[in-house]
Amino acid sequence: MNAVIPFLKKPLVIALLLIVALLYLGESLSPGFASADQILRLLIVASLLGIVAAGQNVVILGGREGIDLSVGGVVSLSAIIAGNVMNGADGGILPAILACLAAGAFFGLLNGLGVTLLRIPPLVMTLGMLGVLQGLLVVIRNGIPSGRAAPGLSAFVTQPLVFGIPGIIWLWIAIGLFMAFMLNRTVFGHRIYAIGSNEHAAYMAGVPVRRMRIGLFMISGMFAAIAGLCLLGYSGSSFANVGEQYMLSSIIAVVFGGTSLAGGKGGYTGTMAGAVLLVILQGILTTVNIDESGRQMVFGATLLLLMLFYGRGRAMRA
Amino acid sequence: MSKLKLNGVSKAYGATLALRRGDLEIAAGEVHVLMGSNGSGKSTLCKIIAGSVRPDGGEILIDGRPVTISGPQSAREQGIGIFYQELSLAGNRSVEENICLAMLPVKAGLFIDRSALKARAARYIDLFSEVSGDGFTAETLVGNLRADQRQLVEIMKALASEAPILIFDEPTSALDRAQVERFFGILRGLKRDGRGIIFISHRMDEITAIGDRVTIIRDGETIKTLNLSETDPATVIRLMVGGAGDMPASQSSAPAVANFSTGAAMTVDRLSGVGFRNVSFEVAKGEILGLGGLHGQGQSAVLRAIFGAGSITSGEIRIGSDRFDAKKPRDAIRRGCAYVSGDRGRDGVIAGRPIIENVTPIHYLRDRLMIARPSSLRQKAMPALEAMHTKFASLMHPINSLSGGNQQKVIIARWLIDRPDVLLLDDPTKGIDLSAKADLFALIRQLAADGLGILLYSSEDAELLGNANRILVFNGGSVTRELTGEDRTRYNLYQAAYEAA
Repeated sequence: MNAVIPFLKKPLVIALLLIVALLYLGESLSPGFASADQILRLLIVASLLGIVAAGQNVVILGGREGIDLSVGGVVSLSAIIAGNVMNGADGGILPAILACLAAGAFFGLLNGLGVTLLRIPPLVMTLGMLGVLQGLLVVIRNGIPSGRAAPGLSAFVTQPLVFGIPGIIWLWIAIGLFMAFMLNRTVFGHRIYAIGSNEHAAYMAGVPVRRMRIGLFMISGMFAAIAGLCLLGYSGSSFANVGEQYMLSSIIAVVFGGTSLAGGKGGYTGTMAGAVLLVILQGILTTVNIDESGRQMVFGATLLLLMLFYGRGRAMRA
Repeated sequence: MSKLKLNGVSKAYGATLALRRGDLEIAAGEVHVLMGSNGSGKSTLCKIIAGSVRPDGGEILIDGRPVTISGPQSAREQGIGIFYQELSLAGNRSVEENICLAMLPVKAGLFIDRSALKARAARYIDLFSEVSGDGFTAETLVGNLRADQRQLVEIMKALASEAPILIFDEPTSALDRAQVERFFGILRGLKRDGRGIIFISHRMDEITAIGDRVTIIRDGETIKTLNLSETDPATVIRLMVGGAGDMPASQSSAPAVANFSTGAAMTVDRLSGVGFRNVSFEVAKGEILGLGGLHGQGQSAVLRAIFGAGSITSGEIRIGSDRFDAKKPRDAIRRGCAYVSGDRGRDGVIAGRPIIENVTPIHYLRDRLMIARPSSLRQKAMPALEAMHTKFASLMHPINSLSGGNQQKVIIARWLIDRPDVLLLDDPTKGIDLSAKADLFALIRQLAADGLGILLYSSEDAELLGNANRILVFNGGSVTRELTGEDRTRYNLYQAAYEAA
């Protein structure tokens, strides 16, 4: 019994229990909500969010108030770049992937340089970058068409690939394994925790703190870019600010998964559960006819509730 | 009648008696000097008078009346003003605002009375008008001032309290000659007004210049009060050291014999930087070179600068015959330099992470590892932790689950996987228990015997006297004396630490 209570208090376990509860609630509100088809569709949407949240996760783990508010802008930009590069042809997929990754890495690099060299707080730096990206999107949209997804990309995202499961879900699982390996079994991963936990001590132990932090923002940019590319495959063509919703929801997924906003504590497995949970919540809100603005309010309130919950937990342990 | 009198005041922190018995009497119109070595209880005594520490026992009398000082605010109300050694200024406010910070003049119960504030601050600024230096005006932001100018503001702030009893804890450490002279002139004026002044300084010449009486504290006890005019520095230092001060470091604790023929592990040539100047020394392979003197005389600053974590303005460092100038700790580590700080919470411990990750970071860097394989890391980490006699249940437990002494052992163990050539120890035993200290020094001697060059700064003189082959005494940022062989006595160490810089 004594072992059960701490187990139930683990964020991952809480998230999994909530997922089951929400699925049950959805099924009772609208029969068919928890059918296999529907769950697969939810998982596709969760993959997109989960990929963005992977980048958000490493930036937050790296500490010093690390956060990336520009992910939504990068997702939108990447969707447009991908659409124009491939423009409906399968042959354009590889160049599109490379172009998107380059763009994501570039804006991540700018974020990282601003945070480390110019010492701009991440919140301000990435918020400013989001503004720049939004302006850039308007300019681009006036000049060139939004572009279309290649059939191969759409199939990868929406059609079953192996064992009846679409490619993007396999991709997400692969990213999950990669993240677990990186965080636990590589020197880079250990150094992320080290700078997130005690930056000065890490510096004194020879960790290249600046380069690490720039790298984390670049990783975040590249994950957001991959998500933007996949999002194009999901929707067929890109439209204004497709990525906007990912800023808030990626942060919530990370916090839900038990990663501390102070850095140095947490992991990606919980974040994956958090992403699924959020997507199911979103599905339920849609089922009961709550519109986008209502959903945003619920999401914002969820984040605040989570902070309250974890904040209290910390205070009680101390 | 005495202005301030302390009778048998005591204070314990847990099991440690910081102040066993403090008796002190400050007469009206005198400058009373407090002297004692690092950790003798001097600052605890001051904190009790200033109200920031509550005593466990004893009584305090002001003007013959017993009083209770319940906090800094209460101390101020009872007429006690203090100069804080750790600067307590607001960097973004002007000089005049800082001077009046404790009692801002207010009009209509709400608004700050600008003209009254200006007038009051000007009184104290004028006292130092010729010596305060360029760019010092009432409107200058304190953050833009030089260190000596900030210290002047701190003095003005203490004077502005107009308290009958004033405590100055090392008020002159950053001041130049002319500024000290002016300050002493002002103190003499305060004496004529009948104020009681407690003065702490580590410069013997200043103490004899301004002090009337001196009270010596040793091991948490006030030993004796003397008239400075009837005594001499040697007597004072002898009292601070205690009975066995003239004995050379005992033979039983003689350090491992250094084999100087093997050459220098590190050579430092006329090194200057922030907090130290013109420091030169050579540490041989197998030698433990001690850095001594009072707190904050440049010992830590030199060690951190060598490790690439401070700033060097001129001079040269060589490891063997190669030039060694580390821009950052990463460079220093790669070239075989190790640094252990006493402030493990800030410089060492990666809190919340497993013990293993706290042992391996140096190994990651020196072996250029990419993949962290738990089994091979375990094999590397275990011997290092065992060499330190570290007690822990599992390598995967968070480091916070260990005691302070064991945490420090883990931090030191991280340097033992890939052996460095030079080990810099910056007060490494601060806040750890006796058995951990014994383990640590056994290891340090072993490392020296293996041929490492070791630089040891310790705030505990016994650790230096018992372990170092030679001791460089730091005073005011430079080395003022080198103690070798029979000269390594507590008396010589104190004398060198207290003589004028």
